[in-house]
This record gives sequence, structure tokens and C-alpha cells, in this order.
Amino acid sequence: MTSDTPSDKLSLLWKVPQRYFQQDLLPLLADLRLAIALLLTIALFSISGTVLEQGQSTAFYQANYPEDPALFGFLTWKAILMLGLDHVYRTWWFLALLILFGSSLTACTFTRQFPALGAAKNWKFYDQSRQFQKLALSAELDNGSLDQLTPLLQQKNYRIFRDGNKLYARKGITGRIGPIVVHAAMLIILAGAILGAMTGFFAQEMVPSGQTFQIHNIFDAGPWAKSQIPTDWSVRVNRFWIDYTSEGRIDQFYSDLSVLDTQGQELQRKTIHVNEPLRHKGVTLYQADWAIAAVRFRINNSPMLQLPMSQLATEGNGRLWGTWIPTKPDLSAGVSLIAKDLQGMLLIYDMEGKLVSTVREGMSTEVNGVTLAIAEVIGSTGLQIKADPGIPLVYTGFGLLMLGVVMSYVSHSQVWALEESDRNPPDSSTPRFYVGGRTNRAQVTFERELLEILDRLSQAESVAPSVATVTELSSVS
Amino acid sequence: MDLVALQSWLDNASFAVLFTTMLIYWGSAAFPTIPYLSTLGTTGMAIANLCIAALLSARWIEAGYFPLSNLYESLFFIAWGITAIHFLAENMSRSRLVGVFTAPVTMAIAAFAALSLPTEMQSAEPLVPALKSNWLMMHVSVMLLSYAALMVGSLLAIAFLIVTRGQNIELKGSSVGTGGFRNGRYRPLQAEEPSTPIELAAATEPLIDHSGTGKTAVLDPVAVATVEKVSTQAKAELLSPQRLNLADTLDNISYRIIGLGFPLLTIGIIAGAVWANEAWGSYWSWDPKETWALITWLVFAAYLHARITRGWQGRRPALLAASGFVVVWICYLGVNLLGKGLHSYGWFF
Repeated sequence: MTSDTPSDKLSLLWKVPQRYFQQDLLPLLADLRLAIALLLTIALFSISGTVLEQGQSTAFYQANYPEDPALFGFLTWKAILMLGLDHVYRTWWFLALLILFGSSLTACTFTRQFPALGAAKNWKFYDQSRQFQKLALSAELDNGSLDQLTPLLQQKNYRIFRDGNKLYARKGITGRIGPIVVHAAMLIILAGAILGAMTGFFAQEMVPSGQTFQIHNIFDAGPWAKSQIPTDWSVRVNRFWIDYTSEGRIDQFYSDLSVLDTQGQELQRKTIHVNEPLRHKGVTLYQADWAIAAVRFRINNSPMLQLPMSQLATEGNGRLWGTWIPTKPDLSAGVSLIAKDLQGMLLIYDMEGKLVSTVREGMSTEVNGVTLAIAEVIGSTGLQIKADPGIPLVYTGFGLLMLGVVMSYVSHSQVWALEESDRNPPDSSTPRFYVGGRTNRAQVTFERELLEILDRLSQAESVAPSVATVTELSSVS
Repeated sequence: MDLVALQSWLDNASFAVLFTTMLIYWGSAAFPTIPYLSTLGTTGMAIANLCIAALLSARWIEAGYFPLSNLYESLFFIAWGITAIHFLAENMSRSRLVGVFTAPVTMAIAAFAALSLPTEMQSAEPLVPALKSNWLMMHVSVMLLSYAALMVGSLLAIAFLIVTRGQNIELKGSSVGTGGFRNGRYRPLQAEEPSTPIELAAATEPLIDHSGTGKTAVLDPVAVATVEKVSTQAKAELLSPQRLNLADTLDNISYRIIGLGFPLLTIGIIAGAVWANEAWGSYWSWDPKETWALITWLVFAAYLHARITRGWQGRRPALLAASGFVVVWICYLGVNLLGKGLHSYGWFF
């Protein structure tokens, strides 16, 4: 076969990027120093997003970060907008960092974690006494035997493997699997977040009690979110109310909601409150906000009238709603009605801005020579509405992540032992017995455990002269 | 029984006990020869732990909800957490040095809560609607316990840095297990000589490896010569365990306690994310508090990875862990100075 065939050329062409990937890119991605740098860089950029105000208007940044004098000499509003520091967590470079992080996680899992797990599973017996010399925690005993060691290790929950005069025991292999689960879980969460960002949407609706609405006010939707936005059902707010404590503080907000089909038939009904949303066909409605929508009242013997109440500008000093009620048919005179909550108390101000009276829901009062009877203050419920098809994936990732980090706490401990029978010990009375071990995380606890085992081994048969050494050792702990 | 009076008595008592305990621990470190001092310190810590537990229980009975809704309650909960983790660390390390570092921090927290906070912020208030959920207990208690564990771990890293200042350290204990091997080949005990515990500790001190890693030490001709000499000597001597010294122990316990705080932090953040998703529809909204929790998580994740990185072992991961102490405090209190976001309930900033 010649090397000129097209398929050979093609495979040669393919080999170049493959070799680049295996020899250059993969080791770089799997480099722990890159992982640490990425972790710290993501942390650093996240900090910038908590220090700089996010999602404000251009005018805000112009006012707070002037070009002269520039904050720290470089942080002008232009720099902020150019770098996207006004929306750090959605900039291309932050997302690129996250993708790089995901690639590094994947590379690490395959080039480090799986080999490490494989090495832990492919353990070997130690059959030479010199193999014990490299272990920090190892000892050479004049007495003791595998038969004595086995029950001691069993007591400490080791899994024991024996072959003639050789023994291997291990526990906590979960500690080697844990980090792999953690990495997989992180990737699943990232995938779920991407899926959610692409196919999910967020909406907000402010709906007065008694009205029916369809979800229209969408303020954030992914590029493939169209199919998630419901068109074949609507929601009726049967009632919105607030429970107050005896001191007048808000106890809880409630919205009694009905999901209606296109014919107006009720499909589902639920009273929601903060921490208790309504779910319908993958869309969730949360109690998020409230306002006062309108007031229903009578003047003298008029029929029931309704006027909308609008929120007044208070410059951050609490929320107030107000409306103006005419008291003369030609609208030449009237009173202002002010409410601050849904507890039913209304303040009445005259044309000069003087407080003239207060009135409660269901009561009446005399103003400007007319009787004003307040029937009802109507509240509107502020609903946060969202659909996120990535949630099942994200929750799976959350579950695995919790499992993985807990597993990763476990220390993988290994113990080797060797009974030497075919050698000539100095005193040639008893064959030497070697015990050694190591662990990957809990050095201090493992040292204590192994020394206790050595101690008990030598106590079990206190005939040999060198027992003193080991007992002395354990007395240090 | 007047629960409010009991609480104000208990918070002052726990401060006084912690202050005394701190002095005892410092005394026991300065004068190690005085007997019973460290036992006394442990007893003081136990009394403080019980005082705070009683304080929080009284608050729970009085207010009718798990007492984690304002700064005063969360400060005492975190102080309780630190005393609890202190016992774990002290028991694992069997070193009185743990208390030298944990006692002053706990004392400072108790002092701030009991003495500096204005009285109206110390009293129990009804919960705001958003906090009325069983998730409150789950999320906040796990978060605060994780902060407590991470703080104790970071404090031990600081202790390690102080103990080993000016030294080049080869670390033990990391998830690749580089620490399970001997420095050099091995140092046998002089089996013929009578060895007292103190001599033994001195003999098994080869932590300080000035030539860098164990590998380079073997390549060094002088080191090879000594190793060979040692192993020829060893023919007549018994192979015996190479013990961990104080710096090793501090480092490893710091690692283990951070290793305990890290899963707690993860579980706490996830509980918060799930709660946020159930309550207002978004599991992650880059609120400053949750961003800082993520930053804390990233810093300690970097620490855990630094320990298994070749060439990064020694004091560098400990420096990262020590800086984690600052990050935890920013996450716990500093973020609230910004006064924004979902986590500004019941705080005075």
C-alpha cells in the first residue's frame, strides 16, 4: 500500500489536531495550576460584580464613575461599559471562563481522577521487606502474625485481602470516587444552567384582585424559549390579601389563583404565598410583590364607583398610593385619598394638602359637605413567573455534588503486611513481621489507628525482647 | 422563668467564660509546664459551649422559631459552632494550640454580640414573610456551621504558618497521598538505646526538608550517601514508624477541618439555591451574598487543589487557607455592608 491514497492523507490531516489535542492541549487543561488559577480568577471577577453596581443605567455609571478624576486612575464609566463590568456575570469573557473551567474539569477527570481510582483499585501485595521502607508508617516486629492482624483490621472496618504470607487491607475507597462525582456534578450543573438560559424565560405581572391575565410581560427569555411561553391557558387572581401581625407588620402575602383554559374552565386552583408557588405545565408562579390597584367607594347615594390608585414618588421613604376623588360634579373641588397598605386605613387630604380626615374600609366620613363611603381597597398581586427546563438537570447536579463532597471527606487508607519466613533474622528465633500503611487525607487519625494496631500486636504476644520499642512509640501519642 | 432575663445573663456569662478560657489557653501555651491548664481550658470551652446552647434554646422557646433570624442570634450560633468544631479539632490533634487560636476569636464574637450590639437588635423579632420556611433552618444553620468549620480550619493554618515560619515544608496528607512516604528512605530507631518519648520526638523530626522534595534529596549525592549509611545501619535495627510532628499535625488537622467545612458549605449553598428556586423562582441570581458564598467556595476549592499540586506544597496552600479566614468574614458580615440583596433581613447595616 502506498501512502498516497486519499484516505491516508485524510487520516494524516486528522492526526495533526489529534496530536495537538493529546500532547499539548490536554496536559495544559489538566494542569492543576490552571485549575487553581481558574478558580481564583472566577472568584476575583465575581468580586468585581459584587463591588460595582450591576445592571444600572448608563447615566448612573456616568454620575458615579466620572472620567476625571477616574477611580483608581482607570475605572471610568467608559471602561466599565466597555469591559461589561455593569453585567459581569453575563459578559462573554466570564462565560468563556466558565466554559474553560468546564473543559479543565473534564480534562482533569479523565487524565487524573480515573487513573488515580484505577491505581487504587489495582493494588498490589508487598512481598519484599524493602517495600515497607518507603512507607512513613511502617514497622518491623519480632512477633505478631497475619492471623493476629486480621481481626484488628476487621475491627477498624478494613476490607482485607490475603495471599499466603501477604496481606493487603484498605478502607475508604469512596474517598477516591468522591472527587470524580464532584467533577461530574459540576459539569451537570453547568449544562443545566446553559439549558435553562437557552430555553427558559422570566416574566413579571402586576394583577389586581379579580382580574384574569395571560403571561405577556416577559423581561428575560432565552433564544429557544418560545415554546415554553404558555398560550393555551390564563390565570385569574380570585383574591389578593395580606395578613398583618397585631403590631401592624406584614405576616404573609396571599394570592388565590385559578388556572383557566381557553374556554375559561378552571384547571387548577391554589392559594400561593411567599415560599409556596403554583406550578402548571412547567411554569411556576411566585408571590413576589404587591401594590394597591384601586379604591371602590360611594359619594352620598351614588352607585359604586372605582378609581385606580397610583404609587406616589416618596424617594425611598416607604410606599404610598394615592388617588383624587372629586366632591363636586364639575370637578372643581375634591379630596386626595392616600393609602400605605392594605390594612384598610385611608388618609384624606384637602385641596390645600391638609389632613382633614381618616377613614377605614367599610366606613364613611363627611368631607366637603358630602358623605364619602369607602367600600374596598383593591390590592394587586405582583407575580414572578418563570419556566426553566434546566431545573431537573441542575437539581440532579446538586444532589450528586452534595453526595460527592461528602464522599470526598473519606480518607483512603491502605495497610500492607508481610510475614517473612525464609530469612535469617539476627536472633534467628522468630521470623520477622512487617506492617505498614498510608492514607491520603487523615494522616493524624490514621497514624493513631495504625500505632494502636501495632501496639496491640506486640501486646498480644509479649515474649519478644523488642516489644518495648513499639509500646514506647504508642505512649508518645 | 423569665426567658429574656435568662438570655441576657447567659450572653454575658458566655462572654466572661470565653474571656477566661482564652487567658487559660494562652497561659498554657506560654507555660506548658503548669499542670491541668489545658484541661482547664477545655473545661472552659465546654462551659461556654453549653452557655451558648442554653442561650439559643431559651431564644427558641421564647420566639417560637429556630433562632437564626438576626445578627445577634447568628453571631451566637457561629460562636457555638466554633466551640463545637474546636472540640473536634482539639480531639483530633490533641494539641492545646488549637484553643490558643479559637478561644480569642470566639471571645471576640461573643463580646461583639453581647456588648456592642444595641439592645433593640438583641431582642427577638417576628420573622419577615420571606424567612417563614423550613428551609431557613436547613440553609442558615448549615451555612453558619460551615463558616465555623472553615474559620477553625483557617485558624489552624495560621497556627501552622506561625509554627513553621522561616521553614521549607513538605506537606503530608492530600488526596493524592504524597505524604504517606518517608522523607529520605527511612530513619530507624536506635533500638539498642533506651529512647524516651522526648528523644523519640526529636529523632522523628525530619519534617524540615531543606533540599525541597524527597525526590531531589535522593538524587543529591550527599543525601544518597547518608541514606545508604542509614540503610546499612538499619540491617541491625528495627524498622519503625516515622511520626508526625507538631507542624504536620496542625497542617493535617487544618486540612481535615476545612475538608469538613467544605461539604457543609456546598450543602448550605445548594440548600439556599433550592430554597431560592422554590420561593422566588431562581436558584442563582448573583445576589452579593450568594456570590460571596461562591467566592468562599472557590477559594477553598483552590486550597484543596493546591495541596495536591506538585511544587505548590508547603506553606503556599496554608497561606491560601489563612486568606480564606478573611474571605469567610467578608462573606458572613462584610457583604451586608453593601446593604443590597436578599440577605439584608434583620441586619443593621
